[in-house]
Formats: sequence, structure tokens, C-alpha cells
Amino acid sequence: MRVIIGYGNKLRGEDGFGVDVIEVLQKRKLVDTKLISVMQLTPELTLELLAATHIIFVDTAFSQTDHYALACAMEIQNGAALSHHIAPQTIRMFLRLLYAKNPDFEIISMLSSNFDEIPNKRSYKRSLNAVVAYLS
Amino acid sequence: MKKIIIDPVTRIEGHAKITIDVDANNRISDAKIHVTQFRGFEKFCEGQIYSQMPALTARTCGICPVSHAISSIKACDILLGVTPPQAGINLRKIINLAQILQSHTLSFFHLSSPDFIYGFDAKKEDRNIFKMMQTHPQMAKDGIMLRAFGQKVIQTLGGKRIHPDGLVPGGVEQNLDTQTKNTLLLEIPNAIKIAEETLIFFKNNLAKFEKEIDSFGVFPSLFMALVDENGNLEHYDGKLKIIDSEGNVLQENISPQHYKEFIGEAVEAESYLKSPYYKPFGYPQGMYRVGALARLNIAKACGTPKADKELLAFKALNAGKPVLNSFYYHYARLIEMLYALEKIELLLKDETTMGEALHRTSKILKTQAVGCSEAPRGTLFHDYEVDTNGIIQKVNLIIATGNNNLAMNAGLKQVAQTFINAEDVSEGALNRVEALIRCFDPCLSCSTHALGIVSSNIELKDHNKNIIQIFKRN
Repeated sequence: MRVIIGYGNKLRGEDGFGVDVIEVLQKRKLVDTKLISVMQLTPELTLELLAATHIIFVDTAFSQTDHYALACAMEIQNGAALSHHIAPQTIRMFLRLLYAKNPDFEIISMLSSNFDEIPNKRSYKRSLNAVVAYLS
Repeated sequence: MKKIIIDPVTRIEGHAKITIDVDANNRISDAKIHVTQFRGFEKFCEGQIYSQMPALTARTCGICPVSHAISSIKACDILLGVTPPQAGINLRKIINLAQILQSHTLSFFHLSSPDFIYGFDAKKEDRNIFKMMQTHPQMAKDGIMLRAFGQKVIQTLGGKRIHPDGLVPGGVEQNLDTQTKNTLLLEIPNAIKIAEETLIFFKNNLAKFEKEIDSFGVFPSLFMALVDENGNLEHYDGKLKIIDSEGNVLQENISPQHYKEFIGEAVEAESYLKSPYYKPFGYPQGMYRVGALARLNIAKACGTPKADKELLAFKALNAGKPVLNSFYYHYARLIEMLYALEKIELLLKDETTMGEALHRTSKILKTQAVGCSEAPRGTLFHDYEVDTNGIIQKVNLIIATGNNNLAMNAGLKQVAQTFINAEDVSEGALNRVEALIRCFDPCLSCSTHALGIVSSNIELKDHNKNIIQIFKRN
């Protein structure tokens, strides 16, 4: 089973990109796909991923340049300093070390530096459509 | 004088830095935590309609949104002159306890347990949850399971895991049905087993940490918490009680509506966190502690069998007098986790919980109200003034963590003086300074993951306040 996790805060401008992607995908009736929309990644999310063979994280990643570009942002910004939210890589570690699960992983990040509003709605929509098309 | 700066402080909720002052003789003269993020909720809530406040103030935080929502809806209940039906009160209590469970679980398993497993002097790269997953996988799984249960209760009864929207003035939006009740009840025995085993693990390891127990924030202070009509542990409602470090009662049966008569608020330089104090003693002598340690010091009993047994052992630590060691916040949180599970079970089995959960009304009857509850980290106040149309005119929030600000600083100074050698600052000493802060489990608030910048720093400054060294903790 494929699991797509869109995460972010819709009250924080372009940070809600992952959640918006999930909202569109929910209307597509994708086969063998579980859609999860969350504000942040938390340890217990691991339990919802035990049956997954392929996990795709959709998020917004901070970048001073390349706004609205799609990328795979792998930088762990909170790593071992674990707070109440964790990185996709940490979820992967939970799955591998605690539950002997090793599904395929993808990270799709829309680059942005604006977490107050969506200044360019057209570019935002273009990025959203591109991700939705890729995942559909 | 030199100054040591730890920036950022790691494994806490939010953003902060610590400064440690060193005098001309290389002795530690002071230490403080500075909360470096500004939120501004009290100001931008002005002009909003009262009914928006539970959802708005819940955004203060992504880890304890339920606490803010609970205090907020209680304030709104008073503005509306409405008492929720018993089912609504019970469901609010269950959601609040689930939040305490998941928050305490995060604090213990994910933020602090690496210190207990590997020790405070372990290599930094080993002192984290990744190492724990390798060496103690079952413990890591237990932490995930308890968090999952707490979050499931919040989501099922409150509508969402984070920022639940089912908590509303007059009660809760959704009645409890039998199937939901039974599903949740099924998971409680295993959760209680995990909580009990975790308590055994913690108690069995206490002997390793005698020096930390005796130096992590051990000082006389006042304690404040809500208690029920019998003087027992209470997180949702009740009256305020304040005791001193000998256990003498300074105030009791205080309605939270009158908190301003007893609690003053000071502002310290270089920090956005307020410093509340007990007014009759003045600032800063009126330092008090809140949270799990204070609650267990003040409560006569928990009211559930397993937690009461543990409470007896806890109170024996200081021969029945208040336990003054801040290290034991961890111990107190574990007992509260057990209590929360037992109490959730009792409330779910209570037939009155199955009734109508919401009393709908919308007429403003009062123009000032204080909502108060016990958040995971301590007593939380939401004080609102509205006009006759329900538009917010003024807001005062005393956040649980803020109550502990003066005590955190006192504890920091003690730990720094015990463990820091200003001429050669070791990693273990820096970790202990941070670990003192983690005892209080401060929630400095961040409800977006977007920028994800790590939490805090430690600064070393000389007697002229010049920075000598900054220890970046990321």
C-alpha cells in the first residue's frame, strides 16, 4: 500500500502546501493509497504506516531562493534535538529500528520563504497541480 | 566576569537560550533562561469575538492546545453564564487528561529518557532517541503507544489530534457513543501496564542520579495548584491552593476568578516569558512552582488506586513534606500518567458521560471571566474582558510554563554552580544545565514545523556582560 502524508499548517501561508495537496488528492479516489493530512509529523504517526510499502511525504521547505520549485529537501532541521515534531527521516528510523519495516520513501518539498501568506497564487497552484499529477 | 551561553537549549518545546554569568574569580554568579520568541496573543486577540477564543488561543501551541482550549471555553462558559451538562464536563475532563498523558509521555520517553538510560555524561551522539531505539526498542515503542492512545482519545472525542475543534463553550460538540467508549476502554489495560513498568524503570534507576537529584533545582519555594473539594488532585476545575516549602497552607479555596489578588506578574530583561509571583511575598521572593511536582505536593490524594499507592511512596521522599527536588518532576509526571489512564477509564465507565454533552447558548451575561485549568506544565489562566456584544477588549494569559520562570532561573543557577567549571566547560555539564530546564518540561510554544529552527543556546559572559563563548546546541 502507498501512503501519502501531506503536512503543514494552513494558517501559515505556503506552509500548508502538503495539506492542500492531500485535499485535492482526496477527490481523486486513488487505488491502494492511504492519504494522511497532519499539521506536523509526530512519533505515533509511525503506527499508521506499518502496512505501507511506499511512503511519500509532501511538505514545504524553507529556501531563500527558488520559490515554488519542487525539490527533495532532506535537511534535518531538528534531528537529535527532537521536539514535539519530527522529520521524515526519523519516521523512517522508527519504522526500521522498532518495527523492522523498510518501505520506499520519497520526499516532495515545495520551496518557499513565506510562512505568512501565499503571495503568488498562480505559481503555488502550478506547483500543487504538478505534485497532484505526479501522484495521481 | 564571564558569561556562558547555551543557545539553543535542546530537547525542549520552543526556542530559548541560557546565559551563565561568571565573576572575576571564575565563579558562577548567576544563570538565566531567556525565551527568545515573541507570540503576542494577548494583544492580537483584542477585537475578536469571544467564541473565536478557544480556537485562536489553542494555536498558542502544538503540544498543549487542549489546555488552552479548556481554559478558554471555561472562561467563555462564565461569560455566557452557562454550566455545561455533566456529560460535557466529563468529556472535557477526559480530553484534558489525554492531553496530559500524551504530553508527559513525550517529555519522558522522547525528550528526557536518553539521559536516564545513558547518563548525563554520555557522548552527545548517543544521548538521543535514535540510540534509544537501538538499545531499548521496547521502551521507544511504549512511548509511541502511550502517545498514540492519548492522541486517539483527543481525536475521537475532540475532533482533531492537534487543535481539536470539538471543545466549545457550553460543553463539547459530540456526545459519546457506546462503540467509541468500548474501543477506547479496550486499550487502557495495556496503557496502564506500560505506565507502571515505566515507573518501575525510573525508580530502579534513581540511585544513579543522586548528585543530580540533590542539585537540580532543590530549594524552598511555594507551590500552587488546583485541588478538588476534598483537597485531591484535580486538573479540570476546583480551587487554587498555595503552600510553602514546609507544607503550610498559605491560601486555599481561592476561586481562579480572584487570581489577581494573589498572583503578580513581573517582566525580566531579555526574555519574553513573564515572571509571575505570589503577591503577598513580593517579587522575586514570591517565587512558586507549578506542574506535576506542585500538584502532587499539594494534593492529599489522587483518587485512583494505583496512582494513590505511588503517591504515598512519592510523599515519603521528604517524610510527607513537599518534595523540593525539581528532578522529581519526572517522577511526578509518571505518576500523573498512571492517574490519567485510571481516571479516563473511570470517566468512560461513568454512565453520566453518555448523556447530552452540549448546552447551546449565545447571550453574553458577564463582561469579565477567568478560565483556569491544570495544563501538563501547571496552572493556566485565561482572563478575558468583553463588551456586551462579546468582542474581546482585553486578554491576560498566565501560561503554565511562565509560572515556573523564577524557579527555573533559581534551578539553573544551582546546577551551574554545582557542575560548571568556567575554565573548562564540559559537555556533561552543559547537558545538565539543559536537563534542569527539561525537569520543568517548559513549553515555549511553536505550532508550526515550517522553519524548524532548533531550540536554544548557552552563552558564557564576563562581568562586563561581554560574550566569551556561545555553545550552539544544534
